Amino acid sequence: MKPTIVKRDLVVDTALDQCAAKLTPEQIEKVVNEVIDNETGGRLQTYVNTCIHCGLCAEACQWYLSHDKDVSYAPVTKVKDTIWVLLEKKGKVDGAFIKRCSEIAHTECNVCRRCGMYCPFGIDIAYMMLVVRRICAKLEMVPLYLQDTVHSHAATMNQMWVKPDEWIDTLQWQEEEGQGYVPSARLPLEKEGAEIMYSVIGPEPKFLAQLLGNITVIMKVAGLDWTMPATAGWDNSNMAMYSGDFEIMARVERLHHETAQRLKVKKIVMGECGHAFRGAEYDGPTWMGWMKPPIPIVHAISFYYDLIKSGRIKIAKKAEGPITVQDPCNVVRNAGLGTQLRYIMNAVCEEFVDVTPNGRHNYCCNAGGGVINVGPPWKKKRVQGNRVKAEQMKRTGAHTIVTPCHNCHSGIEDIVDYYKLGMHVKFFSDILIEAMEIPEHLKPKEE
Amino acid sequence: MLKIESWDWESKEKMLADTAKWKDKFEDVWEPYISPDGEKIASIVKVGEGEFNIAVNEGTWEEPFEKIWYSRFSPDSRLTALITKDMEWTMAVDGKPWEQMYEYIWDTKFSDDGKVIAATTKLDSVYGITVNEKTLECPVNLESIASYAISSDGKTLAAIAQTLPLGQADLDGFLKGTWSVVVNGKPWKDNFVDIYGLAISNDGKNVAAEYRAAICEYGIVVNGKPWNEKFGCTWEPVFHPNNSNEITTPVRQAGQWFLATNGRIVWDKGFVSLLYQTYSPDGNNIAATVAPQFAKWTVAVNGQPWAATFNECLLQPCFSPDGRKVAVIAKDSGKWLLVVDGTVLGEGYDNIWQPVFSPGGDKVICKVEKNGKYAVAVNGKICGNTYEALWNPVVSPDGTRVMICGVEDGKYYRKVVPLSDI
Repeated sequence: MKPTIVKRDLVVDTALDQCAAKLTPEQIEKVVNEVIDNETGGRLQTYVNTCIHCGLCAEACQWYLSHDKDVSYAPVTKVKDTIWVLLEKKGKVDGAFIKRCSEIAHTECNVCRRCGMYCPFGIDIAYMMLVVRRICAKLEMVPLYLQDTVHSHAATMNQMWVKPDEWIDTLQWQEEEGQGYVPSARLPLEKEGAEIMYSVIGPEPKFLAQLLGNITVIMKVAGLDWTMPATAGWDNSNMAMYSGDFEIMARVERLHHETAQRLKVKKIVMGECGHAFRGAEYDGPTWMGWMKPPIPIVHAISFYYDLIKSGRIKIAKKAEGPITVQDPCNVVRNAGLGTQLRYIMNAVCEEFVDVTPNGRHNYCCNAGGGVINVGPPWKKKRVQGNRVKAEQMKRTGAHTIVTPCHNCHSGIEDIVDYYKLGMHVKFFSDILIEAMEIPEHLKPKEE
Repeated sequence: MLKIESWDWESKEKMLADTAKWKDKFEDVWEPYISPDGEKIASIVKVGEGEFNIAVNEGTWEEPFEKIWYSRFSPDSRLTALITKDMEWTMAVDGKPWEQMYEYIWDTKFSDDGKVIAATTKLDSVYGITVNEKTLECPVNLESIASYAISSDGKTLAAIAQTLPLGQADLDGFLKGTWSVVVNGKPWKDNFVDIYGLAISNDGKNVAAEYRAAICEYGIVVNGKPWNEKFGCTWEPVFHPNNSNEITTPVRQAGQWFLATNGRIVWDKGFVSLLYQTYSPDGNNIAATVAPQFAKWTVAVNGQPWAATFNECLLQPCFSPDGRKVAVIAKDSGKWLLVVDGTVLGEGYDNIWQPVFSPGGDKVICKVEKNGKYAVAVNGKICGNTYEALWNPVVSPDGTRVMICGVEDGKYYRKVVPLSDI
């Protein structure tokens, strides 16, 4: 097999460099074969042996398209340069090779599964990249900031090193903020037997606390019986799923679901995040041996769809001007919520402008799959790797992009900034809170 | 221990509060809690702008506070809550605040007799465990406390705490270990990468936890000393009820879960999943929630799984007092079920709370929810009234009566009924 010609700007990631220097061939061989022999089964072999190397997957990948069809970014090349070699050499590779595996699997692939749709055999190429990540994680070959995020999950059970008191304090603060809109709004903590447990991802209390205020108002206006935990288990995000540390992934997901069980709720409603839905709905439960989440999980898109469609939330004033949307891969391509997303966008926007391609076929934001969490050293590469997204968004002529996912939100903000698109990026709840009708009896009294 | 014997087991029915009136009297009324003896019901209520109080039966606390949350009754039926005064936090007990104020206070816990009231506190950016108003002295400044446990007698308090500061993205520092267990203010000698699943033996003498030694390497540490054996993953350890030197925990090896006691695998059969290992009261038997196959959940007793399996999940099993029977709440095809010794009792419900056995073990009693109403179910069948709010039924020590506390039409009732009648 000819070696791939790879042209990349140098990126210094001290965690990868230090790990490459200390890994021994024996360690690598042991871990590679342990993972392949004990954790992959027939699935990996089937995928590897079914691939006919046609390269049709290339056209699916935003990295490939954004680099003028540079074949080194094609999904098939990512497989060829990683798992094929590991299998062929039975793990007899060096630290520099494992470092390159991590660069490919952790920083150049979003495991968004668009390529699987273009493969004539439907091969889940993202799965193979996750196997590579698993090997890397067990060898501690994980980019610095992603590993730090996973350590945060491991130590605090949330993504952002949020301490228990900071979490509760933030909720109590945002309850007061919500009361600015609706004085009787309440953010009920630890209410056993409530209908809904609402869960969020770590960045909400850390950087985007207004989203907690938003939900306090929305829940009150919709008249729902809900609660949030005052303990660990509130964070539904899971970067361990993406680094390849599946034991921590499972521990985080187990706690999240057991918190819902402890509170005896009927369902978990989660905020606007895609990967968190994947972890809580599929990857985490599967590792635990659950066919599906023991307490059903509803993504924010479906939640808002039900509230608007049922009339529990009425729209008083639609958002003005052209507004477009980003389809989060994990809830649209991989969970089919594209139609519901368009319903709620049309419900709250005067002029909703769809993207092309859209829905299941939309491009990834390039931040998902843990790629934004590899941090500042890799930011430029990530943003340059999604020029097609910038071009797609620009074509809509919209002034605002709605991103019902935290990774999409941050990734698209970076794209808007880098390509100077001059667009705003908002969560759906930011638009809804301005558009929704607040019944007279809930409004603040005039002074 | 809780003196259940001294509770009123004679009065058949008491209407102790009309909570419907609270809604007329106060701006907002939060969800109610009841005292363990059932004699009091309390709700946090809003009495004005930035002013909260607690309604208890027909009265309120004397003094309102800026904020109140986490109202909980102690086992001896004192009402505690976390409150703010002048934007500082403290604990209030029966309306009287502790003198010391804190930057923050949370996670109230009690000894079994209620004499010890503990909470996690933060003062001058240092974290601590505070017991009956006194913060346990610690030789190092604790950077954070993830959680803590209290022994039955309240004499041992163990916290999972970060004892060293950690810089941003300091991977090496993290892997050297910044977390430890602090027992009554004294940290264990060594730090660990992570600590989980804290347990204190019934006699309060030993403390165990899971620890993480490396990225995918886990073990159990007892009083600061790790087991020799390491595993791919572990779950929380449990002490034998009468032998504080015996610790049992689920461990993962080669992709399967096993049960291990003091580091040695004691169930030869591995499972896809194994959780919630539970000793019988005499410690002679162990039951655990297991999945022999993916998405097929059941209970294994002493390693032998029941024949019946359930497709969604199982909660923690519980033994009858004589250790011969095991009950568990299972979820199958969207319904919650009561299962005893592998047999489903009664019908499916929207929710079932943790069951209790009668002293003779012939009846399993629990709170259930169906169509938005709550009821007491015996052996899976609803008995008596439905309620708009209901608390877990309590069986009298002699096993002849059951205390049922619930709200009907806004009125809070405490009822005592003969066990034979339900």
